[in-house]
Amino acid sequence: MPSTGRRTFAGKIARLLSTVIAHLDLDAFFAACEVLDHPEYAGKPLVVSGDPHGRGVVMTASYEARPFGIRSAMSAAEAFRRCPDALFVRPDIESYRRRSRAVWEWIRKRMSCVEQVGIDEGYIELKTPYAEPARTILADLQQGLLRETRLSASIGCGGSKTVAKIASDYRKPGGLTVVPPEQSAAFLAPLELRALPGIGPRLEARLAELKLRTIGDLAALTDEELRRALPGVVGSELRDRARGIDGRPVDPSPQMPVSQGAEETFPRDLSTLAEMEAWLDRLAESVWTRLIAHDLCARRVTAKIRYFDFQTLTRSQTMGEPFASAEELAAAAKSLLRRAMGEREAAVRLLGVYASKLCERGKEAQIRLPL
Amino acid sequence: MELSIISSFEAEIEGEGASVVPGKVFVDACRSLPSGESEVTIEQTSGSRMVSLSCGSASYRLNVSTTEDFPRLPEMTSEGVFKVNREAFLETAGRVARAASRDESRPVLTGILVQFEKGSAASTRKLTMAATDSYRLAVRETELAGDTPELEAIVPARAIAELARIPATGSELELAIHDNHAIFSLGDTTLSTRRIDGQFPNHRQLLPEAFEHTVKLARLEFLDVVRRVAVMAQRTSPIRLHFDAGLMTVSAQTQDVGEASETLPVAFSGVPIEIGFNAEFLREGIESVIGDEIELNLINPIRPGLLRAEGDSFWYLIMPIRLAG
Repeated sequence: MPSTGRRTFAGKIARLLSTVIAHLDLDAFFAACEVLDHPEYAGKPLVVSGDPHGRGVVMTASYEARPFGIRSAMSAAEAFRRCPDALFVRPDIESYRRRSRAVWEWIRKRMSCVEQVGIDEGYIELKTPYAEPARTILADLQQGLLRETRLSASIGCGGSKTVAKIASDYRKPGGLTVVPPEQSAAFLAPLELRALPGIGPRLEARLAELKLRTIGDLAALTDEELRRALPGVVGSELRDRARGIDGRPVDPSPQMPVSQGAEETFPRDLSTLAEMEAWLDRLAESVWTRLIAHDLCARRVTAKIRYFDFQTLTRSQTMGEPFASAEELAAAAKSLLRRAMGEREAAVRLLGVYASKLCERGKEAQIRLPL
Repeated sequence: MELSIISSFEAEIEGEGASVVPGKVFVDACRSLPSGESEVTIEQTSGSRMVSLSCGSASYRLNVSTTEDFPRLPEMTSEGVFKVNREAFLETAGRVARAASRDESRPVLTGILVQFEKGSAASTRKLTMAATDSYRLAVRETELAGDTPELEAIVPARAIAELARIPATGSELELAIHDNHAIFSLGDTTLSTRRIDGQFPNHRQLLPEAFEHTVKLARLEFLDVVRRVAVMAQRTSPIRLHFDAGLMTVSAQTQDVGEASETLPVAFSGVPIEIGFNAEFLREGIESVIGDEIELNLINPIRPGLLRAEGDSFWYLIMPIRLAG
């Protein structure tokens, strides 16, 4: 039935053309919550992180701390070296969760199609296909949110999730960047490659060797050039995104995720167990934050280890009751890493921590006897 | 062999023989025989592949299987047989059986630990039974008169349940524990079950040595409150016990269903605490304790609670549900 195919295709095109998606990102969210909870922190360089004298990782730095070069995911010790005068505070996840819930409840009352993708970010599908009415709607939303919750958000808006996300990061804090769908490719083209979700420092370096520096450079590759630069499905997906093509819809009722994970490809391969363990601590902390943001807990942890020669191992462990803290999750991941290193001890280029067998917090927290 | 039962009864027999009949059909047929009749005739002529069953106006003919294919069932021999008080044994088993697991992924937990040890006097033995599904642990100790060997075995909870269903005859139960199976004999009926391999959790180690709070309650009143409130503890929602000076509030809430709450006066002092339990596990615990007064012992909201009664050698340890927020 060829006509059905054509109709579906036409429908898809029509939907793509008419979709306007916004990405809302709360500015330095954890730091902003801390300032609301402790007004005396206002105006000071503030770093929400684990122990700056241990293996903690920076979760958020306030805008006052950023000129010192302090960024999320940096080790807290490095942040301390860069700005010893900054206020280092431990995360109060419960407070952030409470505020996050209030923010998204407020937004959902006003917008009908909202997909929250993290504690501090989410996508909103707008019912208007045109950029200018969208700008008015979003400006109202942004100001209303600030009035109601005293939290500032940056909003990006475009014809796809990719464009919306990049646009929300375009001017921060408090920015509103609207990219009319027909201008997607022109908006993306001059931006540095690393602005494109999916391109990390290592991939960026590899593409730089091929003289690819901007999103436009990637978008302009022919199929043949793309095959050489980035073989596999990932390549064509990244080039599509670089061209502003991204068919992912806003899903207002996402299923409970099957797993939550974080992985990192290192700028240089790690060769000591201490370095690897320090990274697992950070990754576990980041996974933990995401679990909390989704009100989830997990009973299974998987450690992913990719050696320098791309051999990849995964090792998992299931527990009787859900992990109670980021430290417990990290400890289990580290014991899996040590097991893997027992099988093959070599430098690693990537480490990952995944949490699965998820359940809603509180609902499934039946504790077991230690049998 | 998982489980087998051999039973015999007196009958008027003309000629010896054996038949293997299909179990379920045979039982269904026997159950539906006319109730006013006192005799039933079972007949199989040699060489025939059918057995007939007749009773008053009812008459059945059933296909039979060959007797050669029927497995040899373990029978009670004189080897290692000892006697215990039937009622005491079954009461002990009955009080712990519900705590056994139904999850076959950990076979040891689907069994009941049966342990015979030295008693408090030379002439007595201590029978201990324990069962756990990892959410609760029930332990019962009974002092038995008589001389039994010291031994222990993990017996499938299902076999013990079958044993309890055998109609009572006499005051004694004969048993023999062999390497791979255990045999129980009650009057004219013998039940054999395989033993479960493995190490049963050390139940003595699992019982906390000390508790922070001990609350005494009228058992039946507590049970009624828990039953009423449990109606609103659906799906995986916990039943909550909140203790404050002189009061215990039992409550439950299920989203999109509703909530229930009841308050009882109790002798509680100190910092208020709240602990959550699976409502069914809590109810079963209160039911399996015997006595007018029940003790609820607590440490904190994430450590086990213990239900017991003064003067009763029974312990029901129950793990809490970690409460959200």
